[in-house]
Amino acid sequence: METSSRELQAAEYLEKHQIKELVSYLTSALLFFRPEKPKEYLISLLERLRIAKVTGVAFPFFMDNSNIVAMFEMMDSSGRGTISFVQYKEALKTLGLCTEDEDLQDDGHKITLDKFKEEVNKRMKEI
Amino acid sequence: MDAATAPHRIPPEMPQYGEENHIFELMQNMLEQLLIHQPEDPIPFMIQHLHRDNDNVPRIVILGPPASGKTTIAMWLCKHLNSSLLTLENLILNEFSYTATEARRLYLQRKTVPSALLVQLIQERLAEEDCIKQGWILDGIPETREQALRIQTLGITPRHVIVLSAPDTVLIERNLGKRIDPQTGEIYHTTFDWPPESEIQNRLMVPEDISELETAQKLLEYHRNIVRVIPSYPKILKVISADQPCVDVFYQALTYVQSNHRTNAPFTPRVLLLGPVGSGKSLQAALLAQKYRLVNVCCGQLLKEAVADRTTFGELIQPFFEKEMAVPDSLLMKVLSQRLDQQDCIQKGWVLHGVPRDLDQAHLLNSLGYNPNRVFFLNVPFDSIMERLTLRRIDPVTGERYHLMYKPPPTMEIQARLLQNPKDAEEQVKLKMDLFYRNSADLEQLYGSAITLNGDQDPYTVFEYIESGIINPLPKKIP
Repeated sequence: METSSRELQAAEYLEKHQIKELVSYLTSALLFFRPEKPKEYLISLLERLRIAKVTGVAFPFFMDNSNIVAMFEMMDSSGRGTISFVQYKEALKTLGLCTEDEDLQDDGHKITLDKFKEEVNKRMKEI
Repeated sequence: MDAATAPHRIPPEMPQYGEENHIFELMQNMLEQLLIHQPEDPIPFMIQHLHRDNDNVPRIVILGPPASGKTTIAMWLCKHLNSSLLTLENLILNEFSYTATEARRLYLQRKTVPSALLVQLIQERLAEEDCIKQGWILDGIPETREQALRIQTLGITPRHVIVLSAPDTVLIERNLGKRIDPQTGEIYHTTFDWPPESEIQNRLMVPEDISELETAQKLLEYHRNIVRVIPSYPKILKVISADQPCVDVFYQALTYVQSNHRTNAPFTPRVLLLGPVGSGKSLQAALLAQKYRLVNVCCGQLLKEAVADRTTFGELIQPFFEKEMAVPDSLLMKVLSQRLDQQDCIQKGWVLHGVPRDLDQAHLLNSLGYNPNRVFFLNVPFDSIMERLTLRRIDPVTGERYHLMYKPPPTMEIQARLLQNPKDAEEQVKLKMDLFYRNSADLEQLYGSAITLNGDQDPYTVFEYIESGIINPLPKKIP
């Protein structure tokens, strides 16, 4: 069955605003905290998100600082404090923060934790 | 990083919470609205949608040939559900809209309104507060496939579509008796629906174009168009026969509109079967376990297994078995918890029967957190139960079980040596039934959303009823 243009358009829309991740996050939050009034809780979460975007405050959207550190340490198995460029690109792809053919500059040095954190936060804000 | 390497041990509270609060449907509705409108800024849109909180308001379309009673049913449903009624007439009569005046002009000229204009009118009307908060009922629109498609492109989707149908001859006859009250707009009939008050009778008018010829022409037009409209609403359509008294049609329509459709939500059945001894609980449980791969938990069986395996619980239970006394509730619950906490029960779901016997056991079950999400009461009259149980026999040589009426033994020789289980004697059965009925009233009150079935039919029919009870969402209770 060929996908109609409306379907493609809808798929594009979902990609662009990362709706799937958002809905996934909301559902997991609901199931984890199990509030008495799910709609009110969802409204409060969404309000916080909205304010976070407007004011530019780093909101624990999908990952917070500790997760980023944890991820970095998992990739940096030898504990040198840096990860290779390939690992860095893979990590960003897994987080959904960069696309397959995006060309990240390879400045010859290895990526440190700070650079990794900075890049992840920067991309989060762009969403 | 990879979530799929180790299997998730999801605590059972999560799916229970999800089911009770209909989280899946909530998210699905929100996603649908997002995709239909595709706003530039999804988050404020979602906040607004959640504030509106109108996932469950009625959104109904009623279609049908002329004289089938559409408008009557639509008006009654409106009053009952407290929603807004939209018909061609009252859309055009809207005084505040430029499109409405345009439409009125065209209607007076040509007796029809062009589809584009009509659909625009509908869109305007549906955006008003009362339609959003309390729902809407469309009477007689869409008439053609073109209208149906246009409505769909604007994102207006009904949740229930009712199509009334009746044989043409009945409709032509019926239309001849139609009368309208000019003040209220209500439709009456000379034979079927005559108003009781004489003052209404006096002011009734005969509407124009109800002669046989005109009705027949309208019917032809209707049949031509409806065939193309019906496939647009595949899963939400229901055809109700209009060839019955108004009240019957109305009740059928009302129950349909208040029922929810099957959802795609993930669902692990946790079924509880209650009923007197001999009502077929074990058989149904076995059938369910086989078809849906649920775990069949029979309380009596669990206890006997514990004794036979000589587990720690078994040792404690054995003296009760020997003295033929009932096992105490606390012990029973411990054995049950052990079984129901195992991973296969949590993942696949379970069918429980044989317990709870009374209100205390039911409360204990609840407090341990084993809440069934479907409860069935199997009702069988006393005589049937007696028939089923007292005629049970077993052949001591082969171990084969027979029933003197439903499954008689093939030869006289076997029949001669059959034995009856002393627990199946008449007095014993009567005692157990009395015990059950004493407690059943309390249990029925506790499990308010239980479904009662007639157990006095052949097992596969009962099984089908149970299946439909599990698969369809629980009926909404009318407040």
